[in-house]
Amino acid sequence: MIVTTSPATISPAPRRAASATAIAGLVIAALVAIALPAFTTGYVIYIANLLLVFVVLCLGLHIVIGETGQFSMAHAAFYGIGIYASALANRAVDLPYPFAMLFGALVAGAVGLFIGALALRMRDIYLALATFAFGEAMQWVFANWDSVTNGPNGLRISPARFGSLEILSDKQAYPFVVLFCVLMIGLTILISRSRLGRAFRAVRESEVAAMAMGIDVRRTRVIAFGLSAAIAGFAGGMFGLFQTFIHPDSLGFQTTILVLTMVVVGGLGSIVGAVGGAIVFGLISEVLRQAPQYQEIIYGGILILFMMYAPRGLFAFIGDRIKEVRRGQ
Amino acid sequence: MDLQLALIFLQQGIASGLVSGSIYALLALAIVIIFKTSEVPNFAQGEVFMAAGYVALYLFVFQKLPIWIVLPATLVAAFLAMALFRRIVLDQVAKSAKDLVYLVIATLGLSYVLKGLVRRTGFGDTPRSFPALVPTDSVMIGQASVTILDLTILGAALAVMAAFFWMFNYTKMGRAMRAVGMNPKAAQLVGVDLKRCHMTIWGMSGVISAIAALLIAPKILMTADMGSIVMLAFAAAIVGGFSSLPGAIVGGFIIGIVENMVGLFISSRAIVLAPFLAILIVLVIRPQGLFGGKLTIKKV
Repeated sequence: MIVTTSPATISPAPRRAASATAIAGLVIAALVAIALPAFTTGYVIYIANLLLVFVVLCLGLHIVIGETGQFSMAHAAFYGIGIYASALANRAVDLPYPFAMLFGALVAGAVGLFIGALALRMRDIYLALATFAFGEAMQWVFANWDSVTNGPNGLRISPARFGSLEILSDKQAYPFVVLFCVLMIGLTILISRSRLGRAFRAVRESEVAAMAMGIDVRRTRVIAFGLSAAIAGFAGGMFGLFQTFIHPDSLGFQTTILVLTMVVVGGLGSIVGAVGGAIVFGLISEVLRQAPQYQEIIYGGILILFMMYAPRGLFAFIGDRIKEVRRGQ
Repeated sequence: MDLQLALIFLQQGIASGLVSGSIYALLALAIVIIFKTSEVPNFAQGEVFMAAGYVALYLFVFQKLPIWIVLPATLVAAFLAMALFRRIVLDQVAKSAKDLVYLVIATLGLSYVLKGLVRRTGFGDTPRSFPALVPTDSVMIGQASVTILDLTILGAALAVMAAFFWMFNYTKMGRAMRAVGMNPKAAQLVGVDLKRCHMTIWGMSGVISAIAALLIAPKILMTADMGSIVMLAFAAAIVGGFSSLPGAIVGGFIIGIVENMVGLFISSRAIVLAPFLAILIVLVIRPQGLFGGKLTIKKV
């Protein structure tokens, strides 16, 4: 019983077709992203900012679930730690905001390393439940540590500063959010192609085989947890760029599941899937906001249908269909 | 706090803990029998429990059907829903993807669908109460005050557990289920119908959850979020080792008593945190739970 997503079972042709569609989609997404502020309202920009934060959250979860095959259910907690840590650092110290973001990422990463070390003996269901319990406990801490997080009243986040520039609107924040998001995508690709990334995937496919190849499995797992948490914490810092308020209610299991859904809908185990899944599913849930009474049913229905008929994700599914059509001709 | 009061609290905590613990134990049993045979932690168990409660509420309070129709109808509905989910959804998921994670996510999907459906009906908008079928007069046992309803809950839960144990250990169907839990392929070779066995297990798990819902419904206010008590059942299952049936039951009672003790001796605010801390502590110190055997690694 291993949580794997072996891309090895996918024949190269549909994978190429899938990544071709995905790359085309990403190019279109990038063009839209650049052109967006010119002709839309503040609300659309706000949604775009939020989507980009979720892209980064998905990258973090991708590292731990997609690359390393470890079931982490505490992503929202690391995201929350990043939000609170960077907001408090920004308020306490008069430094440009990126320092606060780095601080948030470092704190979240440190907690992630700790949880990763605690979770070393566990796998599969036990790991899922332990990280879930940690996530719930963290949400309780956010809601009850009044002196630091302002408890159930939520915390006001002071505006981000870059030297003399103070960010007061979503539109002002947008270029920075895009920049940080692109940086994180680049970083994730770098990690994935590095020796460390190969170690992650080796651990995912088989811990015993990885060990036999001289990979320190325990260290790799802990690093995966730490990196994933740090990236989630960084996403929390990005959130603070444009958002002025955080409430512990939005940092619970629901958010973790939302991110997990995005990664799964996009296709577990590929960066394109994580990014594309965040954008596609983020847009879907934004549309679903129009029909709140059906939101949960459709949401659950999408999850079930994807698991039944497209478990490798949207992009692999589209790639397969394209290949079928080509073969038919 | 003087000794006299502490003793009264202790007795009350144990008495109340046994009552709520019996519900956690039933739900933990429902989770564990599925996990033992399918290796899937069913994250929709709480919503199945919640939805079954609402089916009973709808038939009994809104349709005014007699109780001897309501009870079997609810149990049959729970059995069919779970058995069909296993047969139609999960068999397809298992066919198109080999890994556990996809099955788990499908159960998360089911939990959302069930919650959405209940909210859609409109009965979930306001907290509703289910009329008690047995008197709620209180009686004293030692220095603890419990109601006749409490005693009925405990008694019925124990009876259900006993019936399930008998079925699991002494009937042909139970033997087939145990065989599937040990080695599905070998079980199939000796003639066990895997699909039917899985459907029966999932159905029974639904029935056990529905019974838990029917028992506890008169004691709580029903909302669409009442399924969240399944966390305590997960905690119970973990304490018990997650694949041990007696472990699940004992774990349920332990969690129930601990929860009540925390509420009485520490603070009601800490109750929410207690199960998660229990899960974390047990998993860190003894990942296989109190009743689980040696932790085995299935990996090549």
